[in-house]
Amino acid sequence: MSAIIQNPALDQFRAGLAGLGGRASKAKSTDGERLERAKQVMLRELDGSHAAYLETCLHCGMCAEACHFYLTTEEAKYTPISKVEPLKKVYRRELGPMRWLRSLVTPDITLEELESYQELVFDACTECGRCDLMCPMGLQISPMIGIMRRALAAAELLPPELAAVAEEQKTKGTVFGVGREQVLALAAELTAKGVKVPVDQPRAGLVLLTSAIDLKAFPGSLEATAKILNRLGYEWTLLSNSVELLGTGESLKELNVRRIVEDAIAREAKIVLLPECGHAYPALRFDAAHMIGEPVPFEVYSIAEFVGKAVQQGKLKVKKAAAAKVTYHDPCKQGRHGGVFDEPRAAIAALGLELKEMESHAKTNYCCGGGGGQFLIERAAPLRAKAFEIKMHEVDATGAGTVVTGCNSCRLNYANGAANANWHKNVQSLVELVAANLE
Amino acid sequence: MTILEFARGPAFQVALTVFAFGVMWRLAGIFLMMRRHDFSKPRKHSLVAGGVRAMAMRSLPPHELEKKIVFQHVSGYAWHLTFFVSILFFAPHIPFFKQFLGFGWPTLPNVIALLSGAVALSILLALVWRRATRPVLRHISSIDDYISILLTILPLVTGFVTYARVMPFGLRYETLLGFHILSVCVLMVWFPFGKLMHLFLAFPARFQAGALLRRKGVEA
Repeated sequence: MSAIIQNPALDQFRAGLAGLGGRASKAKSTDGERLERAKQVMLRELDGSHAAYLETCLHCGMCAEACHFYLTTEEAKYTPISKVEPLKKVYRRELGPMRWLRSLVTPDITLEELESYQELVFDACTECGRCDLMCPMGLQISPMIGIMRRALAAAELLPPELAAVAEEQKTKGTVFGVGREQVLALAAELTAKGVKVPVDQPRAGLVLLTSAIDLKAFPGSLEATAKILNRLGYEWTLLSNSVELLGTGESLKELNVRRIVEDAIAREAKIVLLPECGHAYPALRFDAAHMIGEPVPFEVYSIAEFVGKAVQQGKLKVKKAAAAKVTYHDPCKQGRHGGVFDEPRAAIAALGLELKEMESHAKTNYCCGGGGGQFLIERAAPLRAKAFEIKMHEVDATGAGTVVTGCNSCRLNYANGAANANWHKNVQSLVELVAANLE
Repeated sequence: MTILEFARGPAFQVALTVFAFGVMWRLAGIFLMMRRHDFSKPRKHSLVAGGVRAMAMRSLPPHELEKKIVFQHVSGYAWHLTFFVSILFFAPHIPFFKQFLGFGWPTLPNVIALLSGAVALSILLALVWRRATRPVLRHISSIDDYISILLTILPLVTGFVTYARVMPFGLRYETLLGFHILSVCVLMVWFPFGKLMHLFLAFPARFQAGALLRRKGVEA
C-alpha cells in the first residue's frame, strides 16, 4: 500500500508549523478594554436575522447529533448551540425586545467566561455548518460562531497559533512566511518550465488568486490551474499579493477582500478565480459584496466549480483517466456554504472515474476536521484526530481508493489525519487530476 | 368574589392583555430589528420558494439524523397534536370559546379528548425526564425550559382533577375549575417571555434560513 501523499513540500510545511503558537505576542490591552471590544463586535454584528434564531431555539439538542466533534467524543460541551452562549447573553441583556426584563436576570459576560469559550469555538468548531442544516427551527449556528470568533479575536483571545499567523500577516504581509516574493518565484519557475503564468497584468478578463498553502505545500495546484486557463485561452493574470486572503484576523480579511476587489476592478476583470481554498470562496463569493456595500462587478468561482462548469459546457475536453473508484469530499465552504456540488462531480464523470459517494455527501458532508484554522491549533490535535475517525469510516465504507477534493486545506487535513491514524488513502486535487488529463 | 369569578374575570383579562401585548411586542422587536441587505449575487433565485420549502421540510427529520432522533421527533409531533386536540375538541371547553369568540365547533367524544390530554401529559413528563437526565439536554437547558414545561403541565393536571371531580382538600368543583382557569392564565402570562413563543417564531425562522441557504445554492 502506498503512503497517503508523497509530497516533500507538504511534509516540510507541516514540520514548519511546529511551535507556531510560541511566536504570538501577549495581550497588550487591559482586561476591561478587551471585554469591551468583544462586546462591541457582538453588538455591531448581531442583527434581526440572528435575533430570529436566538429567540427561536428550543434547546432540543439536535444540533449535537450533526457535529463531528460531539459525535466522536459525546461530550455535551461540544453541542453547537451552547458554543454561542455569551452571544445569547449579550443579545438578551442589550438587544432583544425583552431586554428590559432579561437584563435583570441575565448576568453580564466576563473576560474569563469568554476565555473559557476559546476551546469551544476554535478547537471544537470548524464552522462547517452541518448543524445549520439539521436544526428543526432553521437556526444558522455557524454564522453566530463566526461572530463569537471575531469577538474573541477582538478580546485578544485567539489561540496562540492563529494569533501568530494574524500577527505575521499584519506586520510582515506574509502568511506562513509566504508572500509576494514566493508567488513571483513560483510563477517564474512555472513559466520557465513552459507553463505560462502572467503576473499582475494591468488588464485581464480573469484574475486568479493563490494561497499560502498552495505555495507552501501544493504548488502543483497553481501549475494545474495555469495549464487549464492557458488551454481555455483566457486573458488572465495571477495577483501576486493574493496569498494574504488567507487571513485569520477578520479585520485583515476585510481589508484584503476590499483590496482584491479593487485590484480586480482596476484590471476590468469579469471573473475572479479562487484557488483550491475553502476559506476564500464564501469570503469573495458572498461576503465581499456585503463588505463593500454593493454587488461586485465580476463573477466569482472556485477553481473546482470553474473547471466543472467548463467541462459541462464542453469548453474543456478531458480524456479518460486510469480506471479507479473515487469518492468526492465536498469542502464545507464551497459546498454547504456555497452550493458547489454538481460541477466537481461533472468533472469526475468526464474523467471516467467511478464515483462512490460517502454516506454523508454534498450538503451533509462531514468536515475534514481541521477547517476554520483548527488544523493550526496544536493542543487540538487529539480532538482533530477523533473527529477525523468519522471521515475515515465514511471513506472506507465507499470502497474507493482515492479521495478527490477541491480544497487544499482539506487535503492537508486528510494528510495529517491519515498520518496520525496510519490510514492509507490517496487524496487527489480535482484540478490537478483534470490538468493531467487534458485532451 | 370567588376564585372562579376572579379567574374568569380580572385574571383572564389581565392574562389575555399580557399575552397579546407581550406577543406583539416581542414579534415586533424581532421583525423590526435592522437586517443587513445582502448584495451578493444569488446562486439560485426563487428565494421565497426556498424559504417556503424550508418551512415545510424542517418539519421532517433530516435523513442523516432519522435513527438518532426518533423519540424526540415522534414525541414532538404527538405532543403538539394531542395537546391541541385536548384543548380545541374537548366538549367542556367549547362554551368558553363560544363565549369568547362568538362561535363554537363540533367536538370529539370526551374519552378521546381526555385520552389525548393524557398522552400529552405523559409525553411532557417523559420530556422533562429526558431533559433532566441526558447530558446534552442538561447542558443546554435553562430555567425557561423547566418553567415552560411546568406551566404547560399545570393546566393539564388541573383539568383532569376538575373533570374527574377529585375534590382534594374538600375543595368545591367551582374552586377547582377556578384553579384550572388560573393555571391557563399563568401559562398565557408566561407565554411571551419564554420559549413557548416558538409557536409564532418557528416558521419565520425556518423561512429565513431557507431563503438564505437558497441564495447560496443549498436546499435547506
